[in-house]
Amino acid sequence: MSSDEPLSPDEPQSVTGRPRGAVEPRALDLDKLFAARLQAARARPYLATALFALHPVESRWVPTMAVDRHWRCYVSPAFVDRMPVEELAGVWVHEVSHLLRDHHGRSERVARERGLTGAGERLRMNIAADCEINDDAFGDGLVTPEGAVTPGSLGLRPGELMEDYLRQFRLGPHTQSLVWLDCGSGADGREREWDLGPDGAHGLSEQERDAVRFRVAQGIAGRRGTAPAGWRRWAEEAFHPPQPWRELLGAAVRSAASAPGAGEDYSYGRPSRRSAGVPGAVLPSLRRRPPRVSVVIDTSGSVSDAELGSAILEVAAISRAVGGRRDLVTVVPCDAAARIVHPLCRGEGIPLMGGGGTDLRAGFTKALRARPGPDVIVALTDGQTPWPSTRPPCRTVVGLFPRGSASYDEEDPDHVPDEPPAWARVVEIG
Amino acid sequence: MPTPVPTHTLFAPPAPSVPTHSVPASASQLDVAGELLALLRDSTTEPRPDSQLEALTLAVAADLPVLLWGEPGIGKTAALTQLAEALDLPLTTVIASVHEPSDFSGLPIVGDDPAEQGVPMAPPDWAVRLVRAGRGLLFLDELSTAPPAVQAALLRLVLERRIGALTLPPGVRIVAAANPRGSAADGWELSPPLANRFVHLQWTHDHEVVVRGLGGTWPRATLPRLDPAKLPEAVDFARRAVCGLLTARPKLVHRLPSSEARRGGAWPSPRSWDMTLSLIAFATAAGSSRDVLSLLVRGTVGDGPGLELLASLDRMDLPDPETLLADPAGADLPERGDLRQAVLDGVVAAVRARADRARWDAAWALLVRALETGAPDLVVVPATTLASLRQEDWDVPASIEKLAGVVTLSRRSDQAAARAAARTAAVAKAGR
Repeated sequence: MSSDEPLSPDEPQSVTGRPRGAVEPRALDLDKLFAARLQAARARPYLATALFALHPVESRWVPTMAVDRHWRCYVSPAFVDRMPVEELAGVWVHEVSHLLRDHHGRSERVARERGLTGAGERLRMNIAADCEINDDAFGDGLVTPEGAVTPGSLGLRPGELMEDYLRQFRLGPHTQSLVWLDCGSGADGREREWDLGPDGAHGLSEQERDAVRFRVAQGIAGRRGTAPAGWRRWAEEAFHPPQPWRELLGAAVRSAASAPGAGEDYSYGRPSRRSAGVPGAVLPSLRRRPPRVSVVIDTSGSVSDAELGSAILEVAAISRAVGGRRDLVTVVPCDAAARIVHPLCRGEGIPLMGGGGTDLRAGFTKALRARPGPDVIVALTDGQTPWPSTRPPCRTVVGLFPRGSASYDEEDPDHVPDEPPAWARVVEIG
Repeated sequence: MPTPVPTHTLFAPPAPSVPTHSVPASASQLDVAGELLALLRDSTTEPRPDSQLEALTLAVAADLPVLLWGEPGIGKTAALTQLAEALDLPLTTVIASVHEPSDFSGLPIVGDDPAEQGVPMAPPDWAVRLVRAGRGLLFLDELSTAPPAVQAALLRLVLERRIGALTLPPGVRIVAAANPRGSAADGWELSPPLANRFVHLQWTHDHEVVVRGLGGTWPRATLPRLDPAKLPEAVDFARRAVCGLLTARPKLVHRLPSSEARRGGAWPSPRSWDMTLSLIAFATAAGSSRDVLSLLVRGTVGDGPGLELLASLDRMDLPDPETLLADPAGADLPERGDLRQAVLDGVVAAVRARADRARWDAAWALLVRALETGAPDLVVVPATTLASLRQEDWDVPASIEKLAGVVTLSRRSDQAAARAAARTAAVAKAGR
């Protein structure tokens, strides 16, 4: 079976369990290891909790340093001997990053989703995870350890996630130098022979792991200025992974279109199914007409056609899913003035022309003037527009294309200009 | 006569006059099928801790409405069956999506003189039976595929326990199940006020359990038992935990979900904190693990506030600095590095708050003890802070010599940091 292949056939040392280097290894130099951890904690104070929660375990099977998902850190004595303290500090931060960023859980998910099996794929996951960490883990008081993989060394762009890197490279001659790389089951989810497992000593339970990650995330959120962008992003998303906008937009439109009152009501026009059982009473029956969806599109130039196109198709697909018909979806392109209302059945040819300033109020008026009126208005915009001052007589979903640096801050919503009104459900797109 | 299709023979009544070619004439096809079914159903069980089932049991015992979120077909119904067995309650399953709103709000029955006597709303038969029995577990399945009007009627049942003119007796416990909105056909979701009334439990399947179960061995969860001796202590603990956190973090008392991604989930409010309090008391009285408590708390007040509560519970578990200072020699410090450092920091903070010679010496003794029983790097920061608290007339205690290793360690780390700074500076220069 491919998963049983030795990871590095050309490195007999790691197969026999002998660490690299010809010298017979001495006992683990714990003082050196702890001095390095102290330096790491001083250089990255927001990671101190996580660094101290790691429990070092001496292991002669590990090529360098490796972690498992239970927050144990397996350390090769020979590796500690070989590395200077300042590089070891970098390795500590690197290993704890694997755990904080849940690389083992994400690797398992990727492996399941994309059907990746075998030791080679796990090695790729380890390399991709290392790329995610190493692009901004070092510098500013931490030395890049010898042999660390960076996106640059593989010819990739920095600042991306492990899942993205995983699509961008294959194993080949240029990764030959990386085959010894092994950050343990904590990095790629594959159990190692040296792992102590869930029942071994000094492991952290799932709740304890979450608690440590949460405390680190809080620490980073508390000192926004000092942590690098990658860590700040992690802290924001650690417990609220961003959902794909398609799902959110879909849920918003679906619930707007299928909510009571939108396209559905009691009707005395036809008798209820139950009428036969209750002679003498006139029961209403529940009738449903397909919901009408009006898409108001901001054509003021800052949003790309590809983005708009995919968003419109998404809205059409959703309205079909809730029982709508394609001809009931209309599109209103709008910049400073609203143009003609187009039915979507002529979809491909809708001219999304425009430019200059935006005033979505014109688009709302136009959409609402249609008879019969829409059940749902979906506005696709970058948000740089005045909004109607009163709530429209139908449900409103705003698909917001985020604009550069103006990030939305939940604690302080005031600093965002032109925020969509409270009566609209807002989904960030892209 | 043509041979019937095999599937039909399987379910047709045994016809002794029709012999088949593969089986001896003595056994009918149906008997053979029965044998095969018996073999298939012959599975054993093994005890296995199951956090999510334990959490469900505790929430049901605490009489809080539970909402199980899970993909179709992952064993929510099976779990409910097991729960009903464990609590010794008859199980009534109602598939919400095949009912009309009037099935839950009552069917109007027109009598002789409606104008005089009114039109009574008759409840469905399962509700009548449930009320007559006085106890039972009501499972409202497929909540998310029911039309919105049915959901509205159901929520009255869940929250007010009323079906038409009937009120469910207190012995009836209610559990609902819904598919996550990503997989629900018409995207049902809870509005924040409704979401706030439920304990949300995410139901997932364990790959190992399923494979082992299909192989013939299903898990048998060991369910929590409330310990009568622990009840007052549990209530006290729960009150201290919740009040302690909310005193320190008043912002957490009430926080409406603001972003689209968090809609329909748990969020903190006085009501959900009250539910949390009950759940902590139940989990404590049952001696449940933190993992179970984590599922319950995060499912009631949401991830962020839930994790903060759990973190403050962790702090409540830590030894009290004053106790440690009173008896440094017998001190029992936590094994985990981050917790140990929190304790040592707490001790130093306690000395700083009320500094005197004896307490200062006791703190040094504690640091020595920490050094002897664990990693030395944890001691560096507390030792530095403690040293800075020294007053002029205090002599350095003899025990401080044992901390010499810590000083070396700290110096070594400083040197490494200096080398690192020099190297990163050189790299930055070269890059420019």
